[in-house]
Amino acid sequence: MIYSKTPFDVIVCGAGHAGVEACLAASRMGATTLLLTGNIDTIAQMSCNPAIGGQAKGQIVREIDALGGEMAINTDVTGIQFRLLNESKGPAVQSPRAQCDKKAYQLRLKHTLELQPNLQVFQATVTGLIFEAGKVVGCRTNLDVEFYGRTVIITTGTFLRGLMHVGQNKNEGGRLGDFSAKTLSASLLEAGIELQRLKTGTPPRILGRSINFSGLQEQKGDPEPTLFAFHDTRGAEDLFHVELTGERRLGWTPGTEQVSCWMTYTTPESERIVRENLHKSAMYSGEIAGVGPRYCPSIEDKFVRFADKPRHLLFLEPEGRNTNEYYINGLSTSLPFDVQLDLVHSIPGLEHAQLLRPAYAVEYDFAPPTQMFPSLESRKVENLFLAGQINGTSGYEEAAAQGLVAGVNAARKVRGEPPMIIQRHEGYIGVLIDDLVTKGTIEPYRMFTSRAEHRLLFNHGSAELRLYEHSNNHKLLSYNRLSRISAKIKAVEYWRAFLETTKSIGGTWAELIRRSDPKTELPAEFLGQTKEIKAETLYRVKYRGYLEREYRQIEKLKDVEKINIPSSIDFLAIPGLRRESALKLHQFKPQNLGQASRISGVNPADISILMVLIAAGKRSRGSPGIA
Amino acid sequence: MSFSPDTIAALATPAGTSAIAVVRASGPQVAGLVSGIFAETPLPRMARHADYRDARGQLVDDVLFTFFAAPNSFTGEDTLEISCHGNPFIAQKILEDLLARGCRTAEAGEFSKRAFLNGRMDLSQAEAVMDLIHARSERALAAANQQLRGSLGRHMGLLISQLVNILAMVEAYIDFPDEDLPAEDRQSVLSELKELAAATKQLIATSHYGELLREGIKTVIFGEPNAGKSSLLNRLVGRERALVSAEPGTTRDYLEERILAGPHALRLIDTAGFNLAPTPLEQRGIEKTLEQAAEADLFLWVIDATRPLPGLPPAVAARLTTANTIAVFNKTDLPPAPRGALPQDFPVVTICALDGAGIEELQTMIARLADSFQVETGDELIAINVRHSHALVQAQQALESAGQKLSDKTDTELVASDLRCALEAFGEISGKVDNEKILDRLFATFCIGK
Repeated sequence: MIYSKTPFDVIVCGAGHAGVEACLAASRMGATTLLLTGNIDTIAQMSCNPAIGGQAKGQIVREIDALGGEMAINTDVTGIQFRLLNESKGPAVQSPRAQCDKKAYQLRLKHTLELQPNLQVFQATVTGLIFEAGKVVGCRTNLDVEFYGRTVIITTGTFLRGLMHVGQNKNEGGRLGDFSAKTLSASLLEAGIELQRLKTGTPPRILGRSINFSGLQEQKGDPEPTLFAFHDTRGAEDLFHVELTGERRLGWTPGTEQVSCWMTYTTPESERIVRENLHKSAMYSGEIAGVGPRYCPSIEDKFVRFADKPRHLLFLEPEGRNTNEYYINGLSTSLPFDVQLDLVHSIPGLEHAQLLRPAYAVEYDFAPPTQMFPSLESRKVENLFLAGQINGTSGYEEAAAQGLVAGVNAARKVRGEPPMIIQRHEGYIGVLIDDLVTKGTIEPYRMFTSRAEHRLLFNHGSAELRLYEHSNNHKLLSYNRLSRISAKIKAVEYWRAFLETTKSIGGTWAELIRRSDPKTELPAEFLGQTKEIKAETLYRVKYRGYLEREYRQIEKLKDVEKINIPSSIDFLAIPGLRRESALKLHQFKPQNLGQASRISGVNPADISILMVLIAAGKRSRGSPGIA
Repeated sequence: MSFSPDTIAALATPAGTSAIAVVRASGPQVAGLVSGIFAETPLPRMARHADYRDARGQLVDDVLFTFFAAPNSFTGEDTLEISCHGNPFIAQKILEDLLARGCRTAEAGEFSKRAFLNGRMDLSQAEAVMDLIHARSERALAAANQQLRGSLGRHMGLLISQLVNILAMVEAYIDFPDEDLPAEDRQSVLSELKELAAATKQLIATSHYGELLREGIKTVIFGEPNAGKSSLLNRLVGRERALVSAEPGTTRDYLEERILAGPHALRLIDTAGFNLAPTPLEQRGIEKTLEQAAEADLFLWVIDATRPLPGLPPAVAARLTTANTIAVFNKTDLPPAPRGALPQDFPVVTICALDGAGIEELQTMIARLADSFQVETGDELIAINVRHSHALVQAQQALESAGQKLSDKTDTELVASDLRCALEAFGEISGKVDNEKILDRLFATFCIGK
């Protein structure tokens, strides 16, 4: 049957971290939205470790908050341990990280969806897409109910032809205990979208009361938690909007009653067990074809590739307050279950540990992301958007960021408006999407601060300031919050200028700050500002020279970013272009000259030629290469 | 299409010797350049005769310059054309000075591109411009590749690899704070950094090609006393006297002159004659000769044709090859002695330094040998090389700044910022280094991941 003759504006297939942000963003922008999930009870499930944030990812979560997403606030009110990483490395690379209560995290997000106006949630497995004239118009489900939508966002995570390996044992599914979306792959292939395989893995979970914590090193949370959401610009209408509907309150006051993680190490016995059983590992016996992430190696990989390292660090992380389940961070493996048992028991503190779930590796389909526009819309199928692991990424934060962007852009597409594109110099989300669509990826892509050339501009506290243009243009936040951010921007600028121009003993305040030696306390009016305004102002004053260097580089690049390449261009037919460049350009189909210049093998002369050609095309229609 | 372009500069005439060379600059900074260099208010379309003084106030040449105000210029921007004497050395000095004053070397075909983008050319010329960019860039690329295959390329490869190593060591601790990495060792990073900065400095100093361009090809005239070395020098210099400036040698033991041979600038050094059984006084002069010979690019061995072939000091003989040495038999106006066999198959020319017979043939021969020192003489090539040394200096400064920060215990992210600046600068010479390279190195070095 057909569910309704009136199509939804946006249909989101999948309710992981990408799907949740996608449907919230679209419905909050006023689009009628449908979320289809195979299992309503696993909405926003953390399939791997029970943590949000960390290096670069923490900044991404703050950017998500700056763009009206839910991940930050959801982490704050369900977090059970908060730590600020890299405190000693400098403000720009400091990242918040939190352990979360997995179930609380899920439940609060599920509840958020239930209460969201314009959003409908329905449990059904999507079995295929419905196309009309090269565009997607809806999807089919396992219930034989068809849903029609003006746009469709696919956020299938590891579920597309998901195959799990525990040693030689194989089970179809995207996550232990869940199903595999098998027929959807065929539908994507039919539409001309290329698919490839990736692999990822997860460690065993054990029972907390079977762990001997004595002798293990404790890792506590920070006494002063660094939160993800910008609470200073939130008002009552923003803070706990779910709870404020009068429904039952979920979550808790951020940073209260923190719990600890514990550290332990592998032993020579662990290494012996792994080495003797390497041939039984799914990864090492050739069972797995997909490419795994280098930054998240299995324990097999660690022992084999770094043979000189005597032991490997493991973290025992609690999965929640109302469960005794622990996650063994660092022990990802695809060894058979009996070997896993021996391996776990060879580790100090885990001699008598009881396994609740085995470790496993999972292989899944992904669609190489160079097949998308930076809006995350498919180049092959109009109105089809892709977000999350299906684009070859890894991580809840990377997925959520893409979901948010896809949701915003699907809603804008329905309204006939141009997409929101976050630039590389504006935030990690910009770097993430630009890397994906211009360079693609061969392993599950994870964000690192070193991927961002303008890292110094991406201190986590500045996220809502640097993304204000987007949140304001697209009205992604409440009117009141936008006004508060605008006032914060003005305050930071006012105090920055004040410190730069006001004299104290031995120079301006700014000079003294940069020399780290103000002779007296800073002016009282400045010290009376909020800690967020003070921190951002001091950052900009102290790092002025470096930030200016970044701004200059950005200025240089801006001109080429603004020059759009007409989609009708035929790179192979352009006279003067080197063959190698023409082929690369044809393959990646950049949308502007900035993207074109970042494709490896395309040199400045090629960019010049494109620039001349585009100018010629503008001056008079019809020029070489433009059909 | 809107632009906020920078100011570009390049040699507008072909490299090499000619009566006049033209250096051109275009962009918003040009009016400032006119007042900065010539202390004159720029008047459009007026050819002005003036002294060109570089940023340090030193006289480079007397020149004619013309300022064109936007949009009435070839590019449609403010443009400056400087006509100087057609000595590559002078043109090069002027170009370097323009870069020092904030200009950027023009990319291949960039003047034409700007002309087109600013509406100074019509559509029918667009394709011609594209072909031009293509052709020039291919040539520049070929030249650059040729160079990069040589010692500069090998050097750059090593430097970049070292820098990527250092960056990986620094970045690992930024991107993986929670990993079980070996304790951060700033001291060993610092010592590697110092090594790299020193290597970069050395490359700048010994950048041979740059030296050839800036200083001319070091050519040593040597031979026995009275073989006719000084007459030969005078003969070579005399023909070019109008174009050269005599520079006295820095010691009394040799004399240095600048001359042109074809398109090449030569530093011609007349040395004290060597004698295999010298008196103590002669000995000092010979030592100076050997010093000069050790650094020379080109050798003119002057042989008195009326005497038997003399032996060579071993230190000199070891430096001679058939590609860098010309055997000059002098005194052909006198009856020759039987000619002995040369130790190698050097090109031979017979001259009479007194009346100038054979000098032209010698000059042609010098030019031919000098040609083989330069991979190409296209204008882009010179630009590439100025760019090289510029980039290297930038890299070196960034490295030193990073080293300073490491010793000062400044935040790691700022150390990394300087190191990336250096990597960017290296990349300007041998192509952009992808961020992925750093990650590759990092993952290969450290056991990372949970």
